[in-house]
Amino acid sequence: MSASLLLQYVAIGVAVLASAVFVIKRQFPNTVLRMRIACALSLVREGRPAWLRALGKRIAPPASIAEAGACGGCDSCETPSRS
Amino acid sequence: MNAAAAPLRLALIGNPNSGKTALFNLLTGSRQKVANYAGVTVERKEGRLVAPSGRQYAVLDLPGAYSLHPASLDEAIARDVCRGFYPGEPAPDALVCVVDATNLRLHLRFVLELREIGKPMIVALNMADAARRRGIAIDVDALQRELGVPVVETVAVRSGGAKALVEALDRMDLAAAPTKPLSEHHGAGAEAASAQDLHAETRRLLALAVTMPRRTARIDDALDRWLLHPVFGLFALAAVMFLIFQAVYAWATPVMDGIDAGTAALGEWIGATLPEGPLNSLLVDGIIAGVGGVIVFLPQILILFAFILALEESGYLPRAAFLLDRMMAAAGLSGRSFIPLLSSFACAIPGIMATRSIQDPRDRLATIMVAPLMTCSARLPVYALLIGAFIPQQKVGLLGINVFNLQGLVLFALYAAGILSALAVSWVMKKWRRDKSEHALLLELPSYRLPHPRDLLIGLYERAMIFLKRVGGIILALTILLWFLLSFPAAPPDAVGPAIDYSFAGRIGHAMTAVFAPVGFNWQICIALIPGMAAREVAVSSLATVYALSAADDDAAAQALSPLIADGWSLATALSLLVWFIYAPQCISTLATIRRETNSWKQVAISAGYLFALAYLASFVTYQVAVALGAG
Repeated sequence: MSASLLLQYVAIGVAVLASAVFVIKRQFPNTVLRMRIACALSLVREGRPAWLRALGKRIAPPASIAEAGACGGCDSCETPSRS
Repeated sequence: MNAAAAPLRLALIGNPNSGKTALFNLLTGSRQKVANYAGVTVERKEGRLVAPSGRQYAVLDLPGAYSLHPASLDEAIARDVCRGFYPGEPAPDALVCVVDATNLRLHLRFVLELREIGKPMIVALNMADAARRRGIAIDVDALQRELGVPVVETVAVRSGGAKALVEALDRMDLAAAPTKPLSEHHGAGAEAASAQDLHAETRRLLALAVTMPRRTARIDDALDRWLLHPVFGLFALAAVMFLIFQAVYAWATPVMDGIDAGTAALGEWIGATLPEGPLNSLLVDGIIAGVGGVIVFLPQILILFAFILALEESGYLPRAAFLLDRMMAAAGLSGRSFIPLLSSFACAIPGIMATRSIQDPRDRLATIMVAPLMTCSARLPVYALLIGAFIPQQKVGLLGINVFNLQGLVLFALYAAGILSALAVSWVMKKWRRDKSEHALLLELPSYRLPHPRDLLIGLYERAMIFLKRVGGIILALTILLWFLLSFPAAPPDAVGPAIDYSFAGRIGHAMTAVFAPVGFNWQICIALIPGMAAREVAVSSLATVYALSAADDDAAAQALSPLIADGWSLATALSLLVWFIYAPQCISTLATIRRETNSWKQVAISAGYLFALAYLASFVTYQVAVALGAG
C-alpha cells in the first residue's frame, strides 16, 4: 500500500469516527450522558490510580449538562433545554 | 459565588401577546421567536442584562398568562415561577408586568392580580407607539399613583424602546413591595381579589387614566369583516395557502439552478484535481453529491418561511384558527390546536411543545399525536426532489387560462394531504375514546400589523442558519457514514454484480426489500429510509450518494439526482414514496419530545406505530393502484 493511499485511509477513518460520535451524541444525548456518568463513576472510585481518576473527571459531564433533560432536538428551537 | 454579586432576578410576565419576548430580546440581546399571536412562548427563558448603572439582572421571559389561576401548563409555569414554587428556580426579586397599551381593558386585570403577590413590580406599557397612533391617551402618572407601582412606556420592537424601563429598574427599591393592595379601594377583606372586584377596579382605572376613542382599530374591523366571514374568509385562507406553494416553485427555480450548477462544478473540479482513490470518492460521490443534493433546496425553504413569518407577524394566523375552529372541532381538535399544528410546519418539536397552551389534556394529546402529520420543512427537499423528477414543469388552469404551476399544485396537494390526514386521525381518536365533548374556543385576536422587513430578514437569516447548520452537522455526518457503509467491504475478486451490492449498506438494503417490495421501494430507497430517521432530508443526500456510487462511470456519477431517479424509477414508485413521506418516518428527536411532553413510552409507541402502519398502508395502496393503472 502506498503512503498516499495509507494517508487517504487514515483521513477517511478519522472522518467516519468523528461522524459516528457526532451522530450518537446528537441522537442519543441522554444515553451518552448516562454512559459518561457510569464510566466516570467507575474510574474515580477509591483505589484507582491517579491518572485513571483524572481521566474519570475529564469524562464526567459538567453539572449543568447532567441536570438538563436534553431532547436531542431538531435545531429549530434554540431554547435552553432546561424548562 | 458571592451572594452580594449575584444578579437580580427579574421576571417578565403578562398576558399572552403583550410583547414580553420582544422586550426580553431587546433587553438581553437574545433572538427568541416572536410573533403576533398568543402562545408563542411556552417555557421560561433566561437572559442577562447589565444596566448602565452596572447593576446586573437575570431576566426571565415567562409564558403569557391571563390569570394566576392557570388553565393550561404554560400558565402554570408562569404562576409557579412568579410565586417561587417552580422546582429548581429561585423566586424572582422583582416582576416586570408587560401590558399591551392598546388593550388595557384586558391586561390591567392581570396587573392587579400580580400586585397582590406583594413583590416589587414595574408595569411596562408596551406598544405605547401603537396606542398613540390609535388615539389612545394614557395618563401614566395617574395610573402609577393608583396602582402604587412604577409605570413606564416601552416599545419593544424599537431600538432604545426599553430605556425608560431600564432607568426605572435602576431606581427601583427592591425592599419596597406594592403599597396599594386591591382591598384598600374596596374594603372587601378576604373577598378583595375576587374576579368581580378585579373587573370593577380595572374599570375604575380605565375611567381615571385612559381615554380610548374606539375599543378596536378601524382597520382591524374593516379587514375582519372580510377575513372572518364564514365564506369569503375561507376563500381568502385557501387563496393565501395556494399562493405560497405556487411561489415556492415559481420563484425558487433560478436560484436552485445556480446552486445545482455550482455543486456540480465543484464536484467535477475536485474529482479532476485529486488522485483517484477512496478520498476522491468520499468527497465527490459522498459529501458533494449528498450534501449538495440537499443544499439546493434552501431557496424553496426560505420562500416558504418568508410567507410563514409574514403571516405570523401580521396577526392573521389567529383569525385562521378562528375560521377553522368548526372544522377542527368536528375532527376532535380545538381551535387552540391550530397554532401548535402550524408550528409543526417548521418542525414537529416546537409544535409538540406549543401544545402546552391547550387546556384540555385529551385535546392536547390528540394534537401531539397528529402534529407529526404536518409537513415539516425537513420533508420539503424530499417532496421537491420527487416532484422535480416526475411532475412536468408546465402551467395548467381552467377554461384555457393556464396560470398555475403544476409542480406547485402537487406540492400544495401534499401539504393538504398531511392536514386532511391529521384531521382524519384525530376524528378516529375522538370516536375511539367516545368523546362527545366540545370545547369552546376563546382566542384573543391581535391587531393587524404590517410585517417589519428587518424582522422578516432576521427571521429568514435564522431559518437559513438552522438549515445550513443541519447540512453541515447531522446531514454531513450521516452522509459520511453512509458513504462508508456503501463502500466497504470491497467486492470480492470473483464478484459478478456491482461492487455496491457487496457493501454493508448494499446488503442491508437488499434484505429490506423483502418488506418494502410490495410498496414499490427498491434497495436504494430502503437504504435512504434508515438515516432519514435522524433527519428526513438525509433521505435525499443518501439517495444522491447511493446513485453516485452505483454509477457505471464518472459522467453518470456527476449527473444530478433528479434525472437519475426519473430514468430509474417508475411513476408508481415515486408516488408511493411521496405518500410514504406524508406519514413516516418520524425523526428520533420528535419521538423523544413526545416522550418528554407526555411522560409516557406508551404514547411514543402508539405514535410511531400508527404512523408507520399508516405510511405502509397508504404507500401500498398508492403503488398497487398506480401499477394497475399502468404507471408501474
